[in-house]
Amino acid sequence: MACGSTSLWAGETSWFCCGNAWGPCNGAGGGACGNCQSSANHGAWPNASQACWDITRPDLCGENIPRRGCGSVMNVKHQCSGATVCITITDCGPRTKEWCGETACCNGTCRTNRVLDLTPAAYSALGDLSSGKLPVYIYE
Amino acid sequence: MTAHQDDTGGLDRRRLLARAALGGATVVGATALGGIDADAAFAAPQSPLDPAITKSSFVEGRITGISGSVLEIAGSYGDRSRIRMTNATSVWKVRPTTAEVIEIGDGLYARGVEMPDGTVAADAVWVNIVNLHTTIRGIEKKRLHLAHGHHELTGNVIADTTSASYAGRAPTADLSRLRIGQSAQVLGAWRPSDDSVDVVRVSVGH
Repeated sequence: MACGSTSLWAGETSWFCCGNAWGPCNGAGGGACGNCQSSANHGAWPNASQACWDITRPDLCGENIPRRGCGSVMNVKHQCSGATVCITITDCGPRTKEWCGETACCNGTCRTNRVLDLTPAAYSALGDLSSGKLPVYIYE
Repeated sequence: MTAHQDDTGGLDRRRLLARAALGGATVVGATALGGIDADAAFAAPQSPLDPAITKSSFVEGRITGISGSVLEIAGSYGDRSRIRMTNATSVWKVRPTTAEVIEIGDGLYARGVEMPDGTVAADAVWVNIVNLHTTIRGIEKKRLHLAHGHHELTGNVIADTTSASYAGRAPTADLSRLRIGQSAQVLGAWRPSDDSVDVVRVSVGH
């Protein structure tokens, strides 16, 4: 399945580590889908399954995010720079409900609520890992 | 050259990087390497640098050796890479810094372009950076006790560096509103020597 250009969602993305790794990430495991790797362009989606949804509960922040399971592909685009990366969903997350109202901004325009987590490989294709969060558009 | 200074004079940063790595600019020693804002690096057009270079590369792993401006990397899946530092490479280790603070044994993420000699000329390297979902188990003046998955983790509070973000608000140096039991996102730098983390920013929700 190829990455498409149909708008799916918009919001804030953070990043996380998974798979074999160094430091505190060691032992993070392959995520909900079993094959997540920090060095691959992978992502975590809050509605990867019903069990996932029950943990992340984006609806509590007003985000009725559609179901996209393991193996789904998405194009993620930085809201301001236009930098884009094609990712595969390999994990469940982020826990959107814990960050209701959180914003990520650029050029004075903000996106609200954490709706996506990216691996370091994917996130660094869009921006600086030390920023911790970025505003993005998501396509499929 | 400061960490946030863009001295490219409008020249496309990635093209500058390629020129630096390929000899169009001087590849400097580690002590003279400066850090340029990594955001600026990735805001630049992502067009190929050279017909022989079709895409960007990402490298992760532990540093096993440093030979001049080249970092030897052992990847977490047994792969091996060589990162070439140039005078256009931005460096982060707790803060934007220079390559002289990089040590053998550090963990690393790097973004760059693969050169014909097999090295990856780095746009940016992030040394020991972590971004962890944790739970606060204890709070002291100079450290946070955190749970990360099934592991305990010590978070070092660094004067003039550690900040807290409450419910999405702008980071503040005031850590007094952190509470035991809260979920907390910790962005920081792992210390290989004692397996603790220097906390750069701890974010808590509602």
